[in-house]
Amino acid sequence: MKIPVAGLVKRVSGTGDFISLDADKCTQCGRCIISCVMQLWKKTGDRIGLIKDYQSKCLECGACYQVCDADAIRFRYPQGGTGIIYERG
Amino acid sequence: MKTYDVVIVGAGPAGATAAKEAAERGLKTIFFERGRKPGEKNASGCGLGPRMWREFDIMQELTPEVCPSMRAGAAARNYFVNEDGVVAGYLMTRPTESVSYEPAKSFITMNVYRSDFDPWIAQFAIDAGAELKSATLVVDLLKEDGKVIGVVDEKGEKYRGFVIGADGVISMVARQSGLRTRWQQQQVTLVPQYDFAVSPGKIDDIMGDEALAVWWSATFPAAYQVFFRDGFHVGLGNWMTWWDRNPRVYLDRCVGLPYFQRLLRILDAKPREFQVHLLPWLEYPYNTHTDNVILVGDAAGFPCPLEAEGIYPAMVTGRIAAEVAVEALSSGDTSKEALKAFDARWQKTSVGKEFEAGRELAAIWRALPFSPKETMTWFVPMMMDVLGGIFDWSQPHVRRVRQILQNVKSYAPKALPFFMQYVFPLLHKVLGDRLYKLMDPQTLAAALPKVTQMMKQEPPTTEGE
Repeated sequence: MKIPVAGLVKRVSGTGDFISLDADKCTQCGRCIISCVMQLWKKTGDRIGLIKDYQSKCLECGACYQVCDADAIRFRYPQGGTGIIYERG
Repeated sequence: MKTYDVVIVGAGPAGATAAKEAAERGLKTIFFERGRKPGEKNASGCGLGPRMWREFDIMQELTPEVCPSMRAGAAARNYFVNEDGVVAGYLMTRPTESVSYEPAKSFITMNVYRSDFDPWIAQFAIDAGAELKSATLVVDLLKEDGKVIGVVDEKGEKYRGFVIGADGVISMVARQSGLRTRWQQQQVTLVPQYDFAVSPGKIDDIMGDEALAVWWSATFPAAYQVFFRDGFHVGLGNWMTWWDRNPRVYLDRCVGLPYFQRLLRILDAKPREFQVHLLPWLEYPYNTHTDNVILVGDAAGFPCPLEAEGIYPAMVTGRIAAEVAVEALSSGDTSKEALKAFDARWQKTSVGKEFEAGRELAAIWRALPFSPKETMTWFVPMMMDVLGGIFDWSQPHVRRVRQILQNVKSYAPKALPFFMQYVFPLLHKVLGDRLYKLMDPQTLAAALPKVTQMMKQEPPTTEGE
C-alpha cells in the first residue's frame, strides 16, 4: 500500500535556497537520507547531497537539520509567504 | 529600527495567546507569522482538550461558523494489531463516571484543523491591539553587548523589544539565544501523516461520536486517527533515532492493513494532503528562558509527555510568558534571573502537574506503543487473550479459563520485567508510599475478605490438559 503523495501538497513558489550541506562536516552517517519522508537526500559515490529541485518538494519539517549530529546541515524556513500550504493541517 | 515592548516570533496558539495577553495589558506588541496567514504551515496539533474551556474564556466563542472543521468526540477507540497485521481486537471508551466537569463529560477532544483554528485565535490578539506581521520570516536575533534586544526579519528590518520565542520545534529564537542548538535525538519525534477527505454524513453514520482511534501495533509504531468535520488524519511518529527506513513505509503499513482499507472503503475516504512535522517529546522542559527571552509552546518542549497534547500547554505557557514579561518590563529587570518566575509559574499549573511524572510517562510511551517489535509483539496477544479469550467455543468454558491463565503465564518472562521497569516506577511516582501500602498482602487481604474466604477453600480439581 503506497499512496502517491505528489499531488497532495500545495505550495507557493519562490522559497529561495533554504537548506544547504557543509560537506566538510558531513560524516555520511546517512540519517538525513532515512529521515526525509520526501527522499530529498541522495548518496552519490562517497558524497551525500540534496536533489536539485528540493525546493519544490520539501515539506519544511526540519528533520534533516534535527537529525544531523555532525551539524553539517543548515536549515532555515523558506522566505515568508512561500513554500508549502497546509489547508487541512 | 522599530520599537515594541514585546516581539513575538510565531503566530500559532502559543504566540497568539502571548500576543493577546500582552496587548490586553497595554504592551505594544507585534507577532510574526512566516505563512501568509497563521495556521497554513502547521501539520501538527488538532486536539483541543476540555481543560481549555475551563481556563480560556475565548473557547466559549469557538463555533462551526468561525471554525468549520471542528468536531467534538466523546469516544476513543483502541485497535490492537498483531504481528500478522490482523486487528486482533479493539476497545472503545467514553468519558467515565469519574470525569468531573463539562465539557470533559461531553467530549474528550474538540478536533480542529489548524488552518481554521490558528487564524481564529490570532484574531483575538489583533483585536486586543497586537500587530500581526504575516508572510515574514524572522531570521535572527538582534543583540547588543551579547544580549538579545530584539529580532531581525528576512529583509533586514529590526524590531526592538522583549522576545517571546513561539516559533515551534525548530526554534530560531532558541538557537540564536544560545538556549539550544537542536534537540537531543531522543527528545523529538518525526511524525508523517495523511489527511483523508470524507463526507461529514459518512463520519456521523459510521464513526458516530468517535473523536479518535489509536492503532496499537506489532508492525508499526502506534498510529493515531483523528476525525474532523469532513475528514480525518492518520499519522504516526517515533524518536529520530528509531527509524531504520523511510517513516512513510510504516505509515503506509497502517493504511495498508486490510481492516484500515475496509474502513477507507466504507467511509469512501480519499487522500487529500500529505503532511509531516517534528514534535518535541520531553521528560521535562528546560532552558526555557535567558536574558530578555522566553520560549513557549513547542519551542520550549511543552507538549504533554504521555500523549503529546500541544495546543493547551502552548496557550498556558504563552499566557504566563506575557504575564511575566509585563512584570519584568515594569520592574525594569528582564534578566535571566528575573525570568525564573516563568518556570515557577508554569510549574504550578496543570501543565506543570503533567510533567511531575514526565520521565516515567515518556519512558512507558517509548517502551510500549513506540516499540512495536520489542513490546507490542507480546503485548497485543497477551492483552487479547485476557480481553477476548473467554468468548471462545473451542473448549468448555472452565477449561478455556485455565487455558488462558496458562497462556498468560507464558508471557510473564516478558511482562513482569516490563512491569518492574516501566509500570512500577510510574505508579510509584504517582502514588508515592501509598503504593506500598496498597501492595501489602495483609492490607490487600483485609480489604478483600471475600477473596480471603475463597483462598481458604479447596482449589477446584483440574483435569489433565
